[in-house]
Amino acid sequence: MISSTFERMRDAMQFNAEKPDPAILPTPKQLRRSTIAAVIGAAFIGVGVYLPAEYGIDPTGVGNVLGLTEMGEIKQQLAREAAEDELIHGDQSSNLIDGFLGLVVSAAHAQEVWTDTVTFTLAPDASAEIKLVMAEGDVAEYTWVAEGGRINFDLHAHGDGQSIDYDRGRGETEGAGMIEAPFAGEHGWFWRNRDDAEIMVTLQLRGAYAEVIETY
Amino acid sequence: MTSTSRGPFPRLSRRVTALILSVLVLYASSVAQALAHDVTPGDAGYIQEIWGVHVISFIYLGAKHMVTGYDHILFLLGVVFFLYRMKDVAIYVSIFAVGHSVTMLAGVWWGWGINAYIIDAIIGLSVVYKALDNLGAYQKWFGIQPNTKAATLIFGLFHGTGLASKIIEYDISDDGLLWNLLAFNAGVEVGQILALFVILIVMGYWRRSERFMSQAVVANVIMVGLGLWLTVYQINGFLAAA
Repeated sequence: MISSTFERMRDAMQFNAEKPDPAILPTPKQLRRSTIAAVIGAAFIGVGVYLPAEYGIDPTGVGNVLGLTEMGEIKQQLAREAAEDELIHGDQSSNLIDGFLGLVVSAAHAQEVWTDTVTFTLAPDASAEIKLVMAEGDVAEYTWVAEGGRINFDLHAHGDGQSIDYDRGRGETEGAGMIEAPFAGEHGWFWRNRDDAEIMVTLQLRGAYAEVIETY
Repeated sequence: MTSTSRGPFPRLSRRVTALILSVLVLYASSVAQALAHDVTPGDAGYIQEIWGVHVISFIYLGAKHMVTGYDHILFLLGVVFFLYRMKDVAIYVSIFAVGHSVTMLAGVWWGWGINAYIIDAIIGLSVVYKALDNLGAYQKWFGIQPNTKAATLIFGLFHGTGLASKIIEYDISDDGLLWNLLAFNAGVEVGQILALFVILIVMGYWRRSERFMSQAVVANVIMVGLGLWLTVYQINGFLAAA
């Protein structure tokens, strides 16, 4: 009954095409071959490309040669961090300790104009957070340089149930500016080294803030 | 009439059609879920952490974008639905590729970001248009057959604008932009060829079935429905965001 409805629909619509001539269609044998080729191809793509590029899993080493394993590792890392962020509710920074090499903090009172100088070194793929505890309306000034490579950063703030993203950068070597706190909380940088070599960052600070929190 | 046109395995082929359709629906819903996230992980998160030329990574991302882009796939399916000769498939797919490459590259390069909901609604309409064309609706309603190659080119231009809008949202670094963009475009074509390979195998089996022509009516009517659903979905998104 359903099929007769289709027949009527077909007659009524008067198709924009002819019934295919079997002579020009691929033969069942060709189709079988293509199907086998597609299945093998899909398996190769799945293992050699998809798994490395999405999950950083690279059993064959092909992903590494193509540079796709790095993509998968970065995605997995970001996914973990996003999940952690959600757990902690964004009120505290995540606990990032992998690969951190060394840190020197000098509350350099003697330095002419800058109040604090924070220096840290990041190995490739390592990250750090430097936050200023500020009250609403506080203004802080900063300048920084990266040596040894190019660094990624996200200058943001959270506190009081609010959050804001001031600035983001990738592959940068220096920066300077002001943070004007629209609300009380932690205002500062998430740094990550996506370069191939160790990077030393020197950050100088002055202005109104209660303390500097460093998380590595 | 009804009984003579019935194939040797009518129930089997109907089951196959049902299976194909449910796979399509499942696929569409899984892709829609993946799009719902607004945090920076995933492809965009990765892209926003890197700079410089990454040809193979961007070929992969372009191919992935195409293969998981159900609206592009539906349109492609509509275009090749009644193209039985490989030569015709090659001609039409090339026209589509030229169309979407032009607006994709130009759109990103000069930053012609069109509202993603609007352009995706138009892409939904392109699916509706092609499915109606397959059903012979324009001949029946207006007594004319609009040029199918021109339509493929014009809708290709819209699909490319949609791709450009997505890429602009990815926020690719200026450092290495041109090469990465060309790589992404090449990847889109690779993804299109991969998708086409699978589509043509399925269509190859289907076309050999006795019931292909009558099932083709249902399939194209469903495509009209899916295209309308995509359009309404995007318009709703636009209204909700406005």
